Amino acid sequence: MSLGQSTLGPSWLSQRLLGWIWRLEHAFERARASGRAEDDTRIRIFFVLTLFSAGFVILAIGATHAALFSNAGKGDYTRPMGAARADLVDRNGQLLAADLLHYGLYIDPREIWDSEETRRALIANLPDLTPQRLERALQAGRRTYVLGGLTPEVRAKLHDLGLPGVSFEPEQKRVYPLGYTAAHLIGFSDTGGEGLAGAEAAFNDDVRSAAAGQGAVPLSIDLRIQAALEDELYKATAQFHPKGAVGIVTNVHTGEILGLASYPTFDPNDPGKASLDARLNRAAGAVYEMGSTFKGFTVATGLDLGIATPSSTFDATHPFYVGKRPITDYHATHKVLTLVEVFQHSSNIGTARLGEQIGPERLHTYFDRFGLTQAAKTELIESARPLVPRVWNEDAIASTSFGHGINVSPLAVARAYSGLMNGGELLPLTIKKLPPGTVVHGPRMISQQTALTLLQIMRSNVSCTCGSGKSANIPGLNVGGKTGTGDKFDPAIRHYSTTKQVSSFAAVFPTDGPLDAPRYFVLILLDEPQKDKTGLDPTGGIVAAPAAGKVIERIAPFLGVKRRAETNPFTPAVDTAADTGEDH
Amino acid sequence: MSWINRRVRGFRLIDLVALGLLAALILGVYLAKTIAGGERAKIAVVERQIAAEKVRIRLLKAEVSHLEQPARIERLSETYLGLAPVPIKHEAAPDALPALASQPIAPPKVPVEATPDPITNAPPAPAAPLATTTVIAEIAR
Repeated sequence: MSLGQSTLGPSWLSQRLLGWIWRLEHAFERARASGRAEDDTRIRIFFVLTLFSAGFVILAIGATHAALFSNAGKGDYTRPMGAARADLVDRNGQLLAADLLHYGLYIDPREIWDSEETRRALIANLPDLTPQRLERALQAGRRTYVLGGLTPEVRAKLHDLGLPGVSFEPEQKRVYPLGYTAAHLIGFSDTGGEGLAGAEAAFNDDVRSAAAGQGAVPLSIDLRIQAALEDELYKATAQFHPKGAVGIVTNVHTGEILGLASYPTFDPNDPGKASLDARLNRAAGAVYEMGSTFKGFTVATGLDLGIATPSSTFDATHPFYVGKRPITDYHATHKVLTLVEVFQHSSNIGTARLGEQIGPERLHTYFDRFGLTQAAKTELIESARPLVPRVWNEDAIASTSFGHGINVSPLAVARAYSGLMNGGELLPLTIKKLPPGTVVHGPRMISQQTALTLLQIMRSNVSCTCGSGKSANIPGLNVGGKTGTGDKFDPAIRHYSTTKQVSSFAAVFPTDGPLDAPRYFVLILLDEPQKDKTGLDPTGGIVAAPAAGKVIERIAPFLGVKRRAETNPFTPAVDTAADTGEDH
Repeated sequence: MSWINRRVRGFRLIDLVALGLLAALILGVYLAKTIAGGERAKIAVVERQIAAEKVRIRLLKAEVSHLEQPARIERLSETYLGLAPVPIKHEAAPDALPALASQPIAPPKVPVEATPDPITNAPPAPAAPLATTTVIAEIAR
């Protein structure tokens, strides 16, 4: 057995191959033996030529294949060039923020022929370029970055000037095409592509990672709802000239924020030019003594504990005293009120009496359950922690039962009310769009029966002409709600101001139908509203409830809420027509 | 005489065939590479055009988003067309009509007013831009 056979084994192929090589190697001997020595040379030449040709053909095929069928030209052209951050879109795909290609301007003074011409041309065409900055670049002695954020049109205009030493480098710039719209919710990022506020900061990692895959990050807001909310909120601010204002719309079943507005607002394309006050997201980052909107929480607690029913009575004929501190009603009824009437008349006395029956420990426990003693759970990094009483005693309970002595953010109120209105589960608020049909569950705050009863009480506060929220009534939408007017603490006089207040309205619609029916929450808040030409006190029922009603009327079609037969629960036999329905 | 030994004008046929094959292969590879190079250049040009168009599309999308701001559309529709949001009382599903018909007629609502500027002391909102470049410059500012 030969070496080859021992190496390759006795297979048929190896035997044929070895035999062929053996015959070739002995071709000389065989040719000489047969007297045809020249044939041997020819065979060898032919063999070598064949080998070379075969190799060449293989190389040619490979080269042709590489040239014609390579991946060149099959790249992903849809990917934004060098985008650091993915697009932000609303829940319907409307563009909210995008990285767009811009150019940075560079100057290399060593290549400039005519400095004066370059100076003149650049100053004339770039209004944002200061002469000092240009001068520094011209004197630098090396290629220097001068100005960024040039649009392709500006770049083309400068390029056409043919200035030697002037060059451009592509760069991405974050652009917010909607300007002021939803500015606080969208937020903004720095030039390095890091989110600093709003959704840009909340989803910074998601937005950056989605940029590589050309994905867009959908937010929960609906631009149509946002626009209607902002429009009505700004109309209210134009009428009552508040220091600030907030508008929030949520889906109570998912916790999605469908609209969020904060006044005054700013242009996220140029946040540096906005004041800190304008950049403050008052919905998440400011806390207020909400006033009577808190009565909804106290009433829910009383109902859930079984301490009160809608027909339970509370004596509001005289002020309620906590120690020596009297608690009075803004519009004293001097009557014994049912729980529903306490809610409708926004009676501080009645609510304080209910709070007394609940007790400090249990009311504190329920406020904890409602999420009012912690920052609103949401992705927004601006979400502020509340200011709560240090000690939950009788005095604190008497105040917090009607929204004094506790400062919470509007988002915290929205979260708590959304939980009460969805059947009693406390859900996190989210600014990220959830997939359709998503079912969200959270810890139970109150029973479903309590939630149903509270819905009807809130409805009665709007449907009844005696209710403080009657101006929010929109025929056919069964709006419910609670007004709130909280006096602001004035550090100058170390007491509550009689002229500065926070007026709000917490609304829910529609209130009819089962607990799992589509339902939405709307909060309108005005900080330090002024009297308008009517001269009426700017309470929640005067300034916030009408705005909430208008918002609801406008957004109902977008949410698919159809007009339906009106409900009017807890209708009194004789309407207290003399009552103004305003609260305090 | 075998075809291997056959000669044509003094050259062996097999040599001529091999030479021709070699020339054909060289020519083939040359042509393939040349054509492919041309195609590659065309692809590169198209690739740059696509990239530029992509950038342009993104700019236009941003511009559309800027121009279609709901507040701006509403302001324009109110100013020039006299349009206003449809009151809810003008809408009803057919199956809800019997129940709605039994309800008392609500008083008319106050008509919608023009939207004030949301920014304290802000200048009036700019008019609709006429040129694309203006808008891009505006949103990119």
